[in-house]
Amino acid sequence: MTPLFKFFASLRLTVVLLAFSIVLVFFGTLDQVHYGIWETQKRYFESFFVIWSYPEQWIAYDALFWLHLPMPGGYLLGGMLLINLLTAHFTRFKLSLKKSGIFLVHFGLILLLVSELLTDLVSQESQMPIDEGSSMNYSQAFRANELVFIDRSHPEHDTVHSIPTELLKPGVNIEVPDTPLSIRTVRFFPNADVGRAQAPISSNLADSGVAVKMNVVATPKAVSYAENYINTETAYVEISGEDGVIGTWLVSNVIDERFPPQMVSYGEQAWEVAIRFTRYYYPFSLELIDFKHEKYPGTEIPFNFSSEINVDHEDDTKDQKALIYMNHPLRYEGLTFYQASFANQDKTSIFQVVRNPGWVLPYVSVLLMGLGMCVQFGMHFFKFISKRGTA
Amino acid sequence: MKTPQLLAASLAAMLFLSACDKPEPVTYTVPKEERSATVLNQAPQPQPEVDTSKMQPLPGMAEAAEAAPELTYTVPEGWDEFPPQSVRKANFRVSDESGSAEIAVTVFPGDVGGKLANINRWRSQIGLDPVDLQGMRQVVRPLMISQHSGMLVSLPGPEQSILGAILDFHGSTWFFKMQGATGTVASQSGAMETFLSSVQIGDHHHH
Repeated sequence: MTPLFKFFASLRLTVVLLAFSIVLVFFGTLDQVHYGIWETQKRYFESFFVIWSYPEQWIAYDALFWLHLPMPGGYLLGGMLLINLLTAHFTRFKLSLKKSGIFLVHFGLILLLVSELLTDLVSQESQMPIDEGSSMNYSQAFRANELVFIDRSHPEHDTVHSIPTELLKPGVNIEVPDTPLSIRTVRFFPNADVGRAQAPISSNLADSGVAVKMNVVATPKAVSYAENYINTETAYVEISGEDGVIGTWLVSNVIDERFPPQMVSYGEQAWEVAIRFTRYYYPFSLELIDFKHEKYPGTEIPFNFSSEINVDHEDDTKDQKALIYMNHPLRYEGLTFYQASFANQDKTSIFQVVRNPGWVLPYVSVLLMGLGMCVQFGMHFFKFISKRGTA
Repeated sequence: MKTPQLLAASLAAMLFLSACDKPEPVTYTVPKEERSATVLNQAPQPQPEVDTSKMQPLPGMAEAAEAAPELTYTVPEGWDEFPPQSVRKANFRVSDESGSAEIAVTVFPGDVGGKLANINRWRSQIGLDPVDLQGMRQVVRPLMISQHSGMLVSLPGPEQSILGAILDFHGSTWFFKMQGATGTVASQSGAMETFLSSVQIGDHHHH
């Protein structure tokens, strides 16, 4: 066995990795106070490295502001643990009936690690609000935004050209896919105050669209990580055709469908331009027939929420009806629809839509580990019983 | 499997999976959709989970739409009516052999950039070039709606056409817009004018 294998297969590595995991969880928990669960998860567990900084809110920040602590992130630790377990298994363990229980436990653990990684990488959560009597064929993210150019000229369908706002970096040029347009981000604000200016703006960054017509300005403000807060993502975007700049527009996720659309025309074509919550379209639509919100008699405490829905798929054989209520989601086409919330005097139901192709893996892995333990302990138990019997 | 291959394979798998996550620009088509505000964007009542009421609306917009006076009208034969949504005070759809058209009534505070800008916005939606004030006079004619003077805007396009009306009404602007297949809009123009003449907007300014 070469030193490299020895290193990866050693139990010492396991202990060090587990120790680092404890440290990571500890500092992650500290930072959760400032960044909320979602951001912390991203920074600490869905990364290879993370640097913890002394929080501004703590005492003696002015003396300790320089204190930074680099540590391995969740992906690195999880990945190393997986490699460690795999190498140890293949170099040390020999599969035998006597050890079959341990084998099952380890296999379950490997599956658990893999399923966690899979969930992190490919699972997707979004929301679908539906009014009673209307239907919806897309859900929308509640943190991710997209800059869209929508071409509505075709009589049969609309064409959406979407650029995730993560890519909007000041000064960076991006081609709008399948159009002659390109954009250059002039300013990008992850959160901003957007409103009508009282007096004419002297140096407006925008020269087209709503910013000019309605005297709207954006001023940046700090990003909030609060659980229920929606940041107002806002950008000044310079749009160009093949032969030069067309103009600069102010786009923001608060400048939404309550406003007349902001149009960009180039040659014969015209596009609506907007920042909106990233949308995920489906080949089916959900129609909300009825939403029920029952309360315990004489109180405002909810007793049950339920939504009666009709699923209308492009393929009519897949149509179905469903009743979604607490702990009773609808699983359909690889998606899970949970009853999440409601609004609008109980006339609107809001579903949490989760796509997690690996959702069944944790159940399987826990089952395997349980089975493995039963086998291992069972064998010892029966050996013990039979020994006592002969004595 | 030998251990080095195993190591390499698992590392490659990890790198590959992390690459999936990369955001990039995409193009896709969706079924034709109404521009309608989804409920997340309306000013909702307080509710659990994601509280969208904290999303800042621009001062005056939603309020003006909410506070807009009552609207009454007679629905022409063959028009299907849909419930009002957000700033849309009324919604209809009509179909015939040449296609279909949608009729929407919206109201906004102020002059929303002026008549010319709005007419050019409509023109761009059906692929027509913008016009100047001179050109605008060619496509509009005066029309009384709910005892106030508005204008009828006729924009015939190659495939899609718009027949609409714009009405200044005590500091707000009402838009009545029929948009759809050129044949349908042409055949429904009579119905549209009948509809416009039936419109009554609740008016508390005159007594």
